[in-house]
Amino acid sequence: MQPIKWLVDFIDVRLGVKDLFTRELQGYLLPRNVNVWYTLGAVLMALFSLQILTGILLLMFYVPDSEKAFASVQYIVNDVPYGWLFRMLHAIGANVIVIALLMHMLSVLFMGSYKGRREFTWLTGFIIFNLTMGLCLTGYLLPWSQLSFWATTVATDAAGAIPVVGDYLVEFLRGGSTVGNQTLGRFFALHVVGMPLVLLGLIGVHLFCVKRRGISSPPFGTGYRISEELPFFEHEKHPGGIPFFPNYFVKDAAVICFFLAFMLAIIFYAPGMFFPEAAFQPADPFLTPPHIKPEWYFLWAYQTLKIFPSEIIGLGVQGAFMTFLALLPFIDRGPERRPAKRPLFVTCYVLGILLFVAISIWGHYS
Amino acid sequence: MIRSLCCMFVLVIAACWSVPATLLAADDTVCIQCHGGLDGRLAAPVAEWRTSIHAANSISCHDCHGGDPTDFAMAMSPERGFIGVPEYTEVPDFCGRCHVGVAAEYKAGAHGKAIEKGGAQCVVCHGNHSVQRASLSLINEESCSRCHPYERAALIKLSLVETDTIVKGVEQDIDRLYRLGFAVDEMKGSLFNQRNRFHSIFHEVDVERVRQETAGVQSELGKISKQVAAIDSTLGERKLWGSVVIGLFILVGVIFLLVRKAYEEEEKG
Amino acid sequence: MSTQVPPPQRRKFLFTMLGGLGALLGAASAWPVFRFLSPVDTGGGSSQVVLPRSEVVAGKAHFFQYRGKPAVALQPSPGNFVALSAVCTHLGCVVAWQEQAGEFQCPCHGGRFSAEGKVLGGPPPKPLETLGVVLDGDQLKIG
Repeated sequence: MQPIKWLVDFIDVRLGVKDLFTRELQGYLLPRNVNVWYTLGAVLMALFSLQILTGILLLMFYVPDSEKAFASVQYIVNDVPYGWLFRMLHAIGANVIVIALLMHMLSVLFMGSYKGRREFTWLTGFIIFNLTMGLCLTGYLLPWSQLSFWATTVATDAAGAIPVVGDYLVEFLRGGSTVGNQTLGRFFALHVVGMPLVLLGLIGVHLFCVKRRGISSPPFGTGYRISEELPFFEHEKHPGGIPFFPNYFVKDAAVICFFLAFMLAIIFYAPGMFFPEAAFQPADPFLTPPHIKPEWYFLWAYQTLKIFPSEIIGLGVQGAFMTFLALLPFIDRGPERRPAKRPLFVTCYVLGILLFVAISIWGHYS
Repeated sequence: MIRSLCCMFVLVIAACWSVPATLLAADDTVCIQCHGGLDGRLAAPVAEWRTSIHAANSISCHDCHGGDPTDFAMAMSPERGFIGVPEYTEVPDFCGRCHVGVAAEYKAGAHGKAIEKGGAQCVVCHGNHSVQRASLSLINEESCSRCHPYERAALIKLSLVETDTIVKGVEQDIDRLYRLGFAVDEMKGSLFNQRNRFHSIFHEVDVERVRQETAGVQSELGKISKQVAAIDSTLGERKLWGSVVIGLFILVGVIFLLVRKAYEEEEKG
Repeated sequence: MSTQVPPPQRRKFLFTMLGGLGALLGAASAWPVFRFLSPVDTGGGSSQVVLPRSEVVAGKAHFFQYRGKPAVALQPSPGNFVALSAVCTHLGCVVAWQEQAGEFQCPCHGGRFSAEGKVLGGPPPKPLETLGVVLDGDQLKIG
């Protein structure tokens, strides 16, 4: 332990890291009734880090040119040692991130954690959610398979329903009138650098908001108190609470391990789960494969557009719903956070989940 | 013989690419538009063709009959290459423009040599417009005994059945690997060649020849199967190590939970 | 079960186990990354290179790839064929053939080699590596 202790002391005397550690990690107290849903933040950070790591590795061999992209992915998967593993980690990881994001959002909604002057946390989180969807969409095009090409064509087409600027917007998104090499170029730049930089920044702001305001307590149990809205800033403390490090950190670590095990189980036992046949055919701009569909997390949007007779109404409905969700903390102003005392909210919540699932399933079979 | 197979393979592909405007969908020709709206005998080919393997591969009327699929006035003009309906004895050459190897084998065999006397040609067994993917079921008592006793055909079929089963098996294996992301183009090509070789040799309808060639085809198929087995063994290895790592992660997760439990007890006091 | 071993001791044991398993998982994760990043040996293949005699003209040097690295074949005097590694023994640049002077010159630091690869001047410490060459009819077999 001597060399480690010496190193820590060396840094501490210069940067005061021990004090930081004591205050921010050991001294960071969490409410006693903190539950497992609070681990999802750490899970998401671990998963995003994995995406960046696997993404960098893939970048070493991937070629963002429509003539070479598909072949470069084939090369990675077939010829580069363990290339298949990193490709699968990246692709399956994207899907697991969306699952974890939805779980995180649902738990925040259920526990009303967006209340109590946490609007900025919610807003940054909402933008992060949208950015993640953007990352999924741009990443989807990169392998340049039939699935990539046509899913992107369908997704970018949707923007055409916007009145006046719609058609121009579609061309702007694609970099041309149809999906092609120029689309690949801009999607690649956005996916690899543009969006990740913004994402990292936003995650930083999101975490800052969480820590600055103080972590919320789950609105369950005898300790629940309605928070008073005092006319000045208040950092929510939890005296007598659980130290984050190491007490709660080990729970974060456990759930991260289980999520990774889940991802690996999909990779080794159900590798075809997120890869329909069209994912293995190189893009053919003249041949639309039958039954082309977006990925499961976009099925709700896809089916909503199909339900409404006019595309603009379909887009409008989705836009309205997303806007409502984004502004939720400004709409739902009541201080009550206990689900049992928010019957209207819980009803909408459950109906919303059921509707999402039902429309997605419908979208899958339609 | 390999050369004629390669020629046939190339010509089939070349014929597909000889469609003047590649953007023209097979179903979108003036031929279909006109004949589809007629009655009786003149309309029948359209519906039949739609069920065929040719239609599934975007091979349309003009690919066989010539003519211009984009111009109503010149659609059936010899100037644009229109051939029209071939005579009974012209059929092998008609189909043989793409299926070169098979046509050559056929002409060298008993059926080909008997064509002037009414010997079976392509359409007799395969049909014309509703032609399906070739399979062994085309060799059956009902079809063959139209002209002669079935015994020899039965012998040939017996020889072919075993190989056909192997071909189907290899096809399924390759498809399975394709869906897992493996680069199977070379194996697919090899299988395609062997399958065509296998189907062509039948057309000479010579029992001894079929028996000999079958051995050759099966040996080549064996090579493909070996490659498939090697890939499968790699997959098995990956699964094994993957399971070990998954187990490790679950174990580590559980231990973290046990640690958490220890902390919880301390927290309670 | 919870009252048998006091929590701190249990934790210590569990942390030790975690350390061990963590190291295992760490190795299991690092190995694929290492293999992914390691260069694949493509320079191998067939180690013999066959050149038609007509490509190696007297007085001129013919550059080619031998086992993934630059090499050169030349005919210093009629009928006498030489094959050498074209990698300068100083710091690894590829040498250039100077037809007028009848010698190799390295563009990086001015090293000079004779047509047989001997060092004639400059910083190179060793002669150019010789590659075995056999004349078989009108083909040159190198390696």
